[in-house]
Amino acid sequence: MSLRAELKYKIIKDYGAPALMAFQDLKKRKPRPIPEAFGPPLESNKRLKEILSRHYFLARYVPGVKKVAWVTSGAPVELLRAFDFYTIYPENHSALVGARKQGADYCSIAEGSGYSQDLCSYARIDLGHLLSGKTPAGKLPKPDLLFCSNNICQTVLYWYKAIAHELNIPLIHFDAPFVATEQTEADINYMAQQLQDMIPILERVSQRVFYVDVFERILKSSQETSQTWGAILNAMEAQPAPMTIFDAFGHLAPIVSLRGLPVAQDYYNILREEVDTRVAQGIGAISDERYRLIWDNIAIWYKVRFLATFFAERKMNFVTATYTNAWAETTGYLDVTKPWTSMAKTYGRIILNNNLKHRLDLMKKMIKTYSVDGMVMHSTRSCKPYSVGQFDLRKAITADLNLPAVILDADIADERVWSEQQIHTRLEAFCETLEGSKHG
Amino acid sequence: MMIPNRSEYLKSLAQSGQKIMGVLPALYPRELLWAFDIHTAEIWDPPGEILHANAHLQTTICPIVKRSLEFILKEPEIINAGYLFPHTCDSLQNLGTQVKDLIGVNVPVYTFYNPKGSFNNTTTKYYREILQNFQTTLETVYEPLNPEKLLSACVLGHKIDSRLMAIQQARMTNHLSLDNSAYFELMRAQEYLLPLDYLNLLGKIDILEQAIEPARARLMVSGILPPSPEVLKFLDELGVSVVADDLLAVSRRIPKFPMDAPLLPLDYLTDRFFILPPCSTRAGDLEERLHHIDKLMQASQAQGILFDIVKFCEPELFDHRLLVKTLRERNIPVLTLETELQAYLSGQDKTRIEAFTELLFDMVSA
Amino acid sequence: MVDLYFAGVDVGSLSTDVVIIDGGSNVLSEVVIPTGVNGSEAAENAFNSALGLAKLTRESIVAVTATGYGRASVAFATGKTTEISCHGVGAHHLFPKTGTVIDIGGQDSKVIQVDSQGRMLDFTMNDKCAAGTGRFLEVMATRLELDLDELSSPLNISGESAPISSTCTVFAESEVISLLAKHTPREHIVHGLQRSIVNRIWSMVASIGIEGEVTLTGGVANNQGLVKLLEEKLGLPLNIPENPQTVGALGAAQIACRKY
Repeated sequence: MSLRAELKYKIIKDYGAPALMAFQDLKKRKPRPIPEAFGPPLESNKRLKEILSRHYFLARYVPGVKKVAWVTSGAPVELLRAFDFYTIYPENHSALVGARKQGADYCSIAEGSGYSQDLCSYARIDLGHLLSGKTPAGKLPKPDLLFCSNNICQTVLYWYKAIAHELNIPLIHFDAPFVATEQTEADINYMAQQLQDMIPILERVSQRVFYVDVFERILKSSQETSQTWGAILNAMEAQPAPMTIFDAFGHLAPIVSLRGLPVAQDYYNILREEVDTRVAQGIGAISDERYRLIWDNIAIWYKVRFLATFFAERKMNFVTATYTNAWAETTGYLDVTKPWTSMAKTYGRIILNNNLKHRLDLMKKMIKTYSVDGMVMHSTRSCKPYSVGQFDLRKAITADLNLPAVILDADIADERVWSEQQIHTRLEAFCETLEGSKHG
Repeated sequence: MMIPNRSEYLKSLAQSGQKIMGVLPALYPRELLWAFDIHTAEIWDPPGEILHANAHLQTTICPIVKRSLEFILKEPEIINAGYLFPHTCDSLQNLGTQVKDLIGVNVPVYTFYNPKGSFNNTTTKYYREILQNFQTTLETVYEPLNPEKLLSACVLGHKIDSRLMAIQQARMTNHLSLDNSAYFELMRAQEYLLPLDYLNLLGKIDILEQAIEPARARLMVSGILPPSPEVLKFLDELGVSVVADDLLAVSRRIPKFPMDAPLLPLDYLTDRFFILPPCSTRAGDLEERLHHIDKLMQASQAQGILFDIVKFCEPELFDHRLLVKTLRERNIPVLTLETELQAYLSGQDKTRIEAFTELLFDMVSA
Repeated sequence: MVDLYFAGVDVGSLSTDVVIIDGGSNVLSEVVIPTGVNGSEAAENAFNSALGLAKLTRESIVAVTATGYGRASVAFATGKTTEISCHGVGAHHLFPKTGTVIDIGGQDSKVIQVDSQGRMLDFTMNDKCAAGTGRFLEVMATRLELDLDELSSPLNISGESAPISSTCTVFAESEVISLLAKHTPREHIVHGLQRSIVNRIWSMVASIGIEGEVTLTGGVANNQGLVKLLEEKLGLPLNIPENPQTVGALGAAQIACRKY
């Protein structure tokens, strides 16, 4: 760690980044006019953009100052934070590329180098970035360490294994046994032990000592942040809902990639206050909310705006989603007094690592709690654990709750997998059913 | 060599009152089930048209998963003791809970977790606990386990392993006079024959004293399942012999090196799991897998390698890119076929295989 | 040797091509006819016409190599070789510095690496999907109500191109339908389609790498717009044979001669 790099990082962090953010604010073009169908936009959006730009901007000055870890969205990052790693979330980066409609470009770089088109597009985009150095975020620091958990999919493990090989750096994997019925003692102890086994490796890579009190503080902060996020989502039970799930897809970024850091907690305090105020004042995310919907699966990043507008124009609002809920659902298990086993429960039981009975029950509960009238499922090529089983989930939910539902075949970030005509027809038909069912 | 037909064999077993469990790919403690007198009939690629499964699975799901579900949906009578879903990949993981919790079948559904990534003492301890828990689960359904029976099941498994190792060694060194089709038919018979029947069958295979003339070109195959009978037959016609394999269904399920005869069953099964060859589905190390492939190619004097990749198979497809890149850099001819487990050989694949053998022959004669 | 004659017969999915050469590799005749439903009949007819053009009798041809999809159905062939080897040999004969051959055929496209003798070192083929093949263009031509020649007219490549992002023929077709519904000019769509094929081919080239000069074979090499785009994407000029369609048959004739 060089003193110069450290000094530079400090200056950039304290003065450079804020100045840049202010400058960007100045040169900002006039904001896009908000279509009539929407209510007033959230004030917090601005702060969110600042936080994320700053995070990616600072990342450039990190090499030589902090060790950089690339982390999967479901990994127990609290442990890394105790060693002060600068964390980058490739999934978040790939979603960003997807949202800019550049997914196909990055995917073809990976495909050209021999990765199959049938692989997850987050992975292909990330590998495309790695092979070409291209990124819409300016520049991403190369990792010193990879940290992944198969609690969201096995894919991340294969993907990180490929990066580890490509860059010849260590990979720490947190093996999370799938909860086929329920977590056993053995599962919990296995996960708890793995976390403790990681400490010496993390100490070596980070050249820092593990302090349990630091770790506990981070864990506590992470739990609080997740709970605040949960409270924000709960605020959407209100009619009209103060934000749409498409907003939440964006506001999800800090809980995924900055949890355990004060900046995330501060941010969600602001957001929570804003949504609570909106609820109190009866301000909705769309100007006339007649129908309330649930979204299943990851966002279709390159079509978020299209979908948001399509539904808002039809007075339909997405008020809940299994996806956004994933970072709030299991945090109740976190217990600072039993850090290891409680992390095993929190990270082992998340929706994608849990059986489909659990998912069905959860979705039914969400549908009731949020007074949902219809369901849109995104069946995504990229994500098998999220998509295999959706046909039968849909059948069970429509049968038991008499709820109109539609499945959209698309992809999270590869815009080549989008058939405009087909999706349009399906969506129109779904809306017709929904309108018929509520007023018929 | 007479190998009984899969469905007829299983049908007559079921009629005789044998308990049969349908097991999905790939790694599971077969000896533990044998000790409960449960026969393990593996389900990899049931033939026939995929029809009903399409109502439950998207088009982008791998054909092993689809074909298995098609088979399960028919509620075949031969599967009378339930299904076992080992944890192999995301799709099979979800299929297990989909069948159990959403679709529903008339027999019990079991699951078995296989640890992933790199292994250490924590993993070993955990795997042994999984075995113990699986035993307890089976004991609640059947009678308490007879330790003697488990030991003899392990001894039987050990004998099969040893004989398979000898046969594979003979294949690599030209001491086996079986063509490609017959060889892989023999390998695949372990998926459905009773262990004792299979051991007897293996015993009847001649390992020759004198090496035979090697084929015109020699190939190693890698992937999940052996190439289809149509591909194997075509390779036979072209004069190409498959002499070694890195297939999940075949050699990735046999220990890398001989083990001592079992004494303590659960310890033996644990040890065995951790000395299986590196495998994509366990997220094994890439370097280690490359090294393993190298060793097999050298031992078998294979001139090229054929990757037979099941469409949409993520674990294989991620490894595949690096394996191909490295082998190409070493000037080893590589051919990749993509299979949907269909029972015919497309004109395009025929051309690929033929062009590849032209390349191999050129190389051999150069 | 000059008095010995050799033939190559390439029975492809769309066309059947015959080339007759003498022992000195001089081309005496070339014939291209549609394959139709009966490959062996097409081979017979094309062979007869080629003999007529070269003023030769059947008996004077000492060796015939069949290639292409229908290579097994050519009754009069004395040997058969895949079109992959044949395109390598044929392209190398026409352009001796060729190290890489890109063949965009009716059903398949391939990238072939050859050594200084024209012998194949490595190859890759498109996957089962028809995107990136002649068939793709044909399907799209029908949809756009253009004939194939119109599709291949030279374009102003700096001109606008409609985004065709799909890599699948069926999906791309539905994209074309939406574009037409939005009244997107047809030339923009054609441009977009060509880009889509070029991207596809580029991926294949990238997967095995470029060595030496690059020669483009197959009927699609006549598509001037596509050739320009491909050159731009690869960043190098392409060798285009005078008769790109018959390179496979030419290679087959050469192989018949070499093996004789």
